[in-house]
Amino acid sequence: MSERRIGVYICHCGGNISDYVDVEKVRQVIEKEEGVVVAKTTIFACSDSAQQEMIDDIKEHKLDGLVVASCSPKLHLFTFRGVAERAGLNPYQYVQANIREQDSWAHTDDKEGATDKAIRLVRAAIAKARHSQPLEPIQLQTTQKALIIGGGIAGLRAAISLADMGINVFLIEKEESLGGWVKDFSIMYPNDRSGREIINTLINEVKKRENIVIFTEAELLSKKGCPGNFDVKIKSKGEEISLTVGVIIVATGFDVYKPKEGEFGYGTEGVITLPEFKKLVEHSEGGEIKYNGKPIESITYIYCVGSRQKEGNTYCSRYCCNATMHTSILTSKIDPSIKQFHLYRDIRTYGKYELLYEDACKLGSIFIRYSEDEPPIVKKENGSLRVRVRDLLTEGEELEIETDLVVLVTGMVPRENSSLTKILKLPIGRDKFFNEIHPKLRPVETGVTGVYIAGACQGPKNSTEATASALAAGSKAAGLVKKGYMELEPEVATVDIDKCVWCGKCAEACPFDAIEKRKLADKEVAYVTEALCKGCGACVPVCEQDAIEVKGYENSVIMGMIEQLIREAQDG
Amino acid sequence: MAEVEKGAEEFCPKILVFSTNNISDVGIDLAGGMHMHYPPTVYVISVPCSSGIKPKWILYAIEKGFDGVFIAADGTDCPCLQDCTDRTAKISGEAQRLLKENGFNPVRLKMAAICSVCAEPFVNHIRNFYEALKKLGPSKKGEVKDEV
Amino acid sequence: MKYDALVIGGGIAGMETALNLGDMGYKVLLVEKEPSIGGKMILLSKVFPTLDCSSCICTPKMAATSHHPNVTMLTYSEVLEVRRKGKGFKAKVLKKPRYVVEELCTGCQECEANCPVNVGDEYNFGLVGRRAIFIPFSTATPRKAVVDIDNCVLCGICERVCPADAIDFTQKPEEIEVEVNAVIIATGFNLFPGEKKPQYGFGRFPNVINAMQMDRLLSPTRPYNTVLRPSDGKIPDNIAYVLCTGSRDRTVGNPICSQICCMYSIKQAQLLMGALPLADITIYYMDIRAFGKGYEEFFKQAAEMGVQFIKGRVAKIEEKENHNLILHYEDIDNGGVKKETEHDLVVLSVGLLPNPKIAEIFKDEKLELDSLFWVKQVEEDESPARTNIEGVFVAGTAAGPKDIPDSILTAGAASTEAAAYIESSKEE
Repeated sequence: MSERRIGVYICHCGGNISDYVDVEKVRQVIEKEEGVVVAKTTIFACSDSAQQEMIDDIKEHKLDGLVVASCSPKLHLFTFRGVAERAGLNPYQYVQANIREQDSWAHTDDKEGATDKAIRLVRAAIAKARHSQPLEPIQLQTTQKALIIGGGIAGLRAAISLADMGINVFLIEKEESLGGWVKDFSIMYPNDRSGREIINTLINEVKKRENIVIFTEAELLSKKGCPGNFDVKIKSKGEEISLTVGVIIVATGFDVYKPKEGEFGYGTEGVITLPEFKKLVEHSEGGEIKYNGKPIESITYIYCVGSRQKEGNTYCSRYCCNATMHTSILTSKIDPSIKQFHLYRDIRTYGKYELLYEDACKLGSIFIRYSEDEPPIVKKENGSLRVRVRDLLTEGEELEIETDLVVLVTGMVPRENSSLTKILKLPIGRDKFFNEIHPKLRPVETGVTGVYIAGACQGPKNSTEATASALAAGSKAAGLVKKGYMELEPEVATVDIDKCVWCGKCAEACPFDAIEKRKLADKEVAYVTEALCKGCGACVPVCEQDAIEVKGYENSVIMGMIEQLIREAQDG
Repeated sequence: MAEVEKGAEEFCPKILVFSTNNISDVGIDLAGGMHMHYPPTVYVISVPCSSGIKPKWILYAIEKGFDGVFIAADGTDCPCLQDCTDRTAKISGEAQRLLKENGFNPVRLKMAAICSVCAEPFVNHIRNFYEALKKLGPSKKGEVKDEV
Repeated sequence: MKYDALVIGGGIAGMETALNLGDMGYKVLLVEKEPSIGGKMILLSKVFPTLDCSSCICTPKMAATSHHPNVTMLTYSEVLEVRRKGKGFKAKVLKKPRYVVEELCTGCQECEANCPVNVGDEYNFGLVGRRAIFIPFSTATPRKAVVDIDNCVLCGICERVCPADAIDFTQKPEEIEVEVNAVIIATGFNLFPGEKKPQYGFGRFPNVINAMQMDRLLSPTRPYNTVLRPSDGKIPDNIAYVLCTGSRDRTVGNPICSQICCMYSIKQAQLLMGALPLADITIYYMDIRAFGKGYEEFFKQAAEMGVQFIKGRVAKIEEKENHNLILHYEDIDNGGVKKETEHDLVVLSVGLLPNPKIAEIFKDEKLELDSLFWVKQVEEDESPARTNIEGVFVAGTAAGPKDIPDSILTAGAASTEAAAYIESSKEE
């Protein structure tokens, strides 16, 4: 090992450290360590003057390593990396020793113990600095182009937002026309706008933007490459096209639940689903809603069909209470004489949509609550449709409702997408919708860097929520590629091809598909695609040859630190 | 079983802790920030993720003279891996096997999920481990026979 | 000073917006009125439905925000006014004096340990006291002390003990002017004040607390080691939750649903079942709104754990001599009979109210609020982040009650729409 020239600064932290750790003693001991050229104490290492002193020392003594023993690296790692950079030293050759939060503050009752510990911690940091290599952040050129899969409301909105940020968009839609489900909807909640109209507006906006290219009757065939530079092959109208994009947004939407034959009477005449009922409402004229030519006088809605099931779809489909309430209001406005009964489990008109519930009540709808264990029974008797239900709101009284129409409030189900899932390696959740990487903080990102999910393919939601989700996916996608390059942390896995025998274990262990077999120098070895590596180290413990390590956490570093931590503190 | 040296100075077990940069190390910092006390013979090496800890590092630590090793794992808070807990458990198992194979008592390795605000759980774990190691005595090769 | 975007508010929505814009390469100024960013989220215990520790997932965002090369963070500062300038805006920001020099403070808390003043701690919602010079909570970002000058007795002890000489009582409020291309409102919500529902006894009966106080009692940075009831410090064993306190209630002027209370109450009930295994938890509800991803399953799980769900709106609460409480309600599932049950601790699941003061800062064009005084989303169907003012966007609960994932989504929407606006204003 060539001789290292390391500078060590031990901080008093204004007494926070020095009141419990004898910093001068620590300095005296570590001054004699191998490779230490400068050893100083300082009252506040983070102060401007101390930082300047470090820069001067680095330049004057041609230091190639820097250690600061002070507070937690969470506070000042970037501060001192900045000092290194300004002095011309590679920032990854700076090591911070935590002798405050993990020493002085935790051992105020044992000054000797705290001092001995500080000596060991500083020695370990020096060992790490001795083994440190200069590292450069991995800079990847990114393609400022995006592929959006799905041309419904979410896909269209994401396309427009990315185009407006200067990113070229390729949008592929499976069907012949754009617009997904929403293009066929008339009046939607919450703002009574027509779905058709919204889609037409979005399509016009798309047409105005030259940097959006649409492919209909198209699907994704394959994907290769890494985030920032995906090579994708699509097929559109029989033609195969290759594209290079930086990011992919999946916005493939949902499917409607189809009740089984006999489920709540489905299959019997007069029992229809909510989407089917909405069509009747849309085609109403002359103040009447007709079914099979006859005007309707009474409707019984049964909520939670295909959702909140004990087995099967355990989730709530979120949009339906609101949609049903809204449809009920529209119905009342068309023909106030229609009797409407709502058989529900919980009314989930959340947030501002609560006002829809209020209005539906005011307009005369009657609400009946049923228990999950005793669902309503729909029967056709003597030519009329009857619904039997035990009403929990009126002391469990059993009611029988004679009704013209039974509307099953059906939920959303995930679309069949198995080929896409395989090609993109998209994770699927318990509810079979696409799974985001973190359900709370990262609702549009997946475990695959550069691939995002937007709209109802991630989970049931209404059109405004799908729009917000699409815009959020757009911002994450733009964050990745907009600058034209991506900078990644260089503390990634690295393979010693001399030791590697390609057993494949590391590739199997890697959760990000960052390792593959390659032929290098006539040998089959593991190859790490740095752009995909997150530096987690999951590959490290599985290698029996010790051939793969994470930069900055190599065997030499860890074992070197262990040796210093166990050494007698005052062995001179 | 290890023998505690009679008449020697009070035995202060040395514990090596593997923490993780973004999760458990933050919790350990918080313990200091809240001025919670634990013995000063506890040393922390921070790594990116507990799934990347090599069993042979644990054996090396015990061989070199540490009396106990504590893995402060990411648990379900791990930002990289969905199955971090499983992987870390596997590493622990492998490390315990290695310890036994080399004549060391496998109870010298402990693992627990420590989240970024788990200051109190960390301190409790360490204190309990410290007391247990005190009873067990200093680590010594051959203290257990490996039943092959 | 020029920035591409001004983000008003440093809670989860504000931070997410700032980080998104920063990642896209835009220069962002984030202004937060409290001494630390993190909003309400940093004060919570765990979040639903994952039961992730709230601080664990919030602190990385806070650290990223304070370190991001493109984000300038101003804490303990307020935006005084925003005026139109061309396609963008000019804003006046007031930097309130901490009386502590931020560059010198190391967060050691020596000042706090020696301060003789004791006042109610607003970050623990009155459960405990704090000093006049303090760091709001241990995970505060930046971790710097601040002086509550209104309660400070100017004794000078902190100045004497500070090892970094960071106390400076000569600091004055500083007004700065900035020019920005876009503004994003992320000012969050206010909690419904329990006193406005006098039938429940909040503020009069010591053992009637609100859910935020309970969340503090359960959080890792909590004031006591366990959940204690205020009147006598006993560990409660029969806890009641009153849902829809201040929501779905025209008598207090808030007819809408606050969207998160069902879920946070179920979350707290699950945590209490863990923390106090012998306790009985009862939730009195109107409808259980577990509508999001994983929410219904979370609800089912709580019921399986033994949490009692009783449909019936609590009409009033009375207090007994031992400070136990009697709840009067209609037991809907059992014949709608009027019942009374006794509990030793009651938690009011308070709703979310708007923060309409934000409208006052827009001096040229008036910011439109909706009929319930939330920031109005004028084009919700196509552009959910748009407000009536061109170039001003809204993110998070400032526009209406929502949970954390929805706040993140709307923050994403706001950052995208703001980016598009910034691009278009640069072209001119």
